[in-house]
Amino acid sequence: MAEGWDVVRDGLTAAVGGSGTARAVAKQLCLACVDLLGMQGAGLWLVTGDSTGHSLSRCGVVTASLEWSQFSAGKGPCWEAVETASFVTAPDLTGADSARWPAFTAAAAAGGVRAVFAMPVTVAGVPMGALYLCRSRPGRLTGPAQSGAFLAGELAALPLLDLIAETRSVAVGSPPSTRSDIGWLTRSEVYQAVGMITAQLGVHPAEAMLRLRGHAFAHDLTVSQVAFQIIERQLQLDDDGTGTDGWHDLDGWPESGGGL
Amino acid sequence: MIKSREQDIIDSFSSLTDRVVGNMDVLELTAELAQDCARLLDVAAAGLLLADAGGVLHLLAATSEEARNLELFMLQRDEGPCLDCYHTGEAVNVADLSTQTARWPRFTAAAADQGFASVHAIPMLLRGDTLGALGLFGTTPGALGETDLALAQGLAHVASIAIVQSTTRADRDEVLPALQAAITSRAVVETAKGVLAHIHGITMQEAFTALRDTARKYNRQLADIAREVIANAPPTSRQLGKSSPASPGPKNVP
Repeated sequence: MAEGWDVVRDGLTAAVGGSGTARAVAKQLCLACVDLLGMQGAGLWLVTGDSTGHSLSRCGVVTASLEWSQFSAGKGPCWEAVETASFVTAPDLTGADSARWPAFTAAAAAGGVRAVFAMPVTVAGVPMGALYLCRSRPGRLTGPAQSGAFLAGELAALPLLDLIAETRSVAVGSPPSTRSDIGWLTRSEVYQAVGMITAQLGVHPAEAMLRLRGHAFAHDLTVSQVAFQIIERQLQLDDDGTGTDGWHDLDGWPESGGGL
Repeated sequence: MIKSREQDIIDSFSSLTDRVVGNMDVLELTAELAQDCARLLDVAAAGLLLADAGGVLHLLAATSEEARNLELFMLQRDEGPCLDCYHTGEAVNVADLSTQTARWPRFTAAAADQGFASVHAIPMLLRGDTLGALGLFGTTPGALGETDLALAQGLAHVASIAIVQSTTRADRDEVLPALQAAITSRAVVETAKGVLAHIHGITMQEAFTALRDTARKYNRQLADIAREVIANAPPTSRQLGKSSPASPGPKNVP
């Protein structure tokens, strides 16, 4: 099924625009990818500190055993997307791409998956996880489906951040975000401020981003305004000690939400 | 001896095209290209904006690395000559910004605040597609002549070719991954600038220069150096998933 670009864009954006838990939003995004991009399955996962993945959502032909084939082997399209911070495409798993990830490819074949595409999900340029799409016929990703895959990869940062905010709500505050607006996440001054907080507090850029958002919400400012205060050295976010201990080891950080 | 303008133009194109055919880094090349644009076209500031899959403009390179200067480019996601240029695929030339306050109220106010009076936006074209726009800002009112506009378009073409050069075909499907990769690379560089600015108490401009010089010294990509800087950010490094690769580079520049 090939939808036009306007339908794809609006559908994907609407999928992350609703209220609900991070997992519910991630599920909506995966379902929208299947519906709008002509896929038979989609999944979103977060890389955790001990070099394992944590499944946030999956649907369609993406099964637990398909994911496990990536986790256990330590390689697969999602790992590659995260490690290279770039789009990974394997349009023919039973042909030209068959030797890339043997364990994953065997599990994919068993599930009827012939092509897989993985987008890194980044915060301030740092990969946090991957959104991946599975299709039962081989072939490149083209036109609105490809543009949609990239857009979905960008939008997937919102449920990933929300998941971390939910599980670490004491540490970062829990401001409700207007989820469909990803603009604040991708501005130069926000990246720079995230870098400064990362260095100052010794936290992952994703937590730096959440602290920035939390401070903006608490003070009724835009994220951009807070970013400028930090860059111009008018503001330092405190390491306020409320629950930050948990951040000193990110292993398995978002485990509270139900897991696989 | 002072170089003639003609010689300067030749040298710039020669240096840029050498990099395109050689082992070049898109971020470094476009940063150099922004500097060339400002000098050769006698404008105060220049920057390149690249569109992502959703048509949102992202900053790729600019003559200044300071956040307040970048803001003027960021603002053009919502309104401004670069956005109009991207949508139409045609140059937008505004000799006097004060005449356009109704067209772009927020952009003209921000530009005036920073002392800019004129702006020219040149499309970055590839076949039938527009990839983004090159924005040129002047501090005095005035239009660029036809020769200068042609030169600006030539420089914008070099940028387009540099960004998509790794791809074999040149349609939108083929270049989109390259555009997204460039946008992500720029994001990680901005974040690393913030890390260095905090650690060393330096400006964002100085932080960028330190990153660029380190990349050159070790003959590595700017984005790779930036990733390592973030992974090694004190007091405790926090890189999800894996530790930074053991490759030549600094344990934190500068």
